Amino acid sequence: MVDVEELKAKYLHLEFARRDFVIDPANTSTLARLSGETRPEFVDPAHPAFEVYPPFIASLSAGRHLPIDFPSLGGVPMDGGKSVQSIAPVPAGKPLNGRTHLHDIYDKSGRSGRMIFLVSRMEIFDGGDNLLAYSDSRMVVRERGDA
Amino acid sequence: MSIERIADIGFGMEFGPWSPDTALGVASEAARSVGWVGGQRFTSHEGAREEGLPGALVPGILGMGFLCALIHRHIPAARIEHIDTVFRAPLIADEPCEVSAVVTDIDEDERRAELDLHVRNAAGETRIFGNATIRMPA
Repeated sequence: MVDVEELKAKYLHLEFARRDFVIDPANTSTLARLSGETRPEFVDPAHPAFEVYPPFIASLSAGRHLPIDFPSLGGVPMDGGKSVQSIAPVPAGKPLNGRTHLHDIYDKSGRSGRMIFLVSRMEIFDGGDNLLAYSDSRMVVRERGDA
Repeated sequence: MSIERIADIGFGMEFGPWSPDTALGVASEAARSVGWVGGQRFTSHEGAREEGLPGALVPGILGMGFLCALIHRHIPAARIEHIDTVFRAPLIADEPCEVSAVVTDIDEDERRAELDLHVRNAAGETRIFGNATIRMPA
């Protein structure tokens, strides 16, 4: 059985990924439009206050974002949910920097066994190193008996 | 009533239900917009079933988008400071769903309100739930 406290001691709050990227205004406006969004600052790239749609920010931290040496927990990770904290508008079409760390690890036990939750957090900075937003991605792993 | 400032929001106020477009084409275009290509879970019911899923999925981020859109449709002045969504069960493309929100807390001094959020399928089962914090003009 995986020792959650041991994982926390070894992996929490250590940055394990950093990347530069630019969000295409067309992509974030498409997601906003498909969502049924009506606010022009999310659907119209020509709007003077155009900014990245929060769910698009959530997509940035999707996938298996774990440290390279993070041990296998046995089961297949599932997407348990996402959250976005907005601190300032995230601009599209401008350089951004994303820094990712494991923010929390916890477990819950039920009738079907133990589930382990891994929360990876991507912090998004602008070119001036100002924190604009962060996005949490919760991965859920059903622990296998032999893990 | 138009909701333009924090004083216009009342505890227990409900928004929705609203039925967003869950068509397969919408789900697949949303997945493409964020670069999720490869695999068929968002593009084909048959392909998704071959992956062991009940049908093609509406991406979770599109479900989050439905909830943001609901908030903005009813409270155009709201700035969503925080939104947290739990993907409780798959939301299937081409199946109708209803999106709703209810105000659970208000802090007039800070001009913030908390909302509980739900996306339910046609059977009334919750597929996505969560909460949001919005900030309003004074």
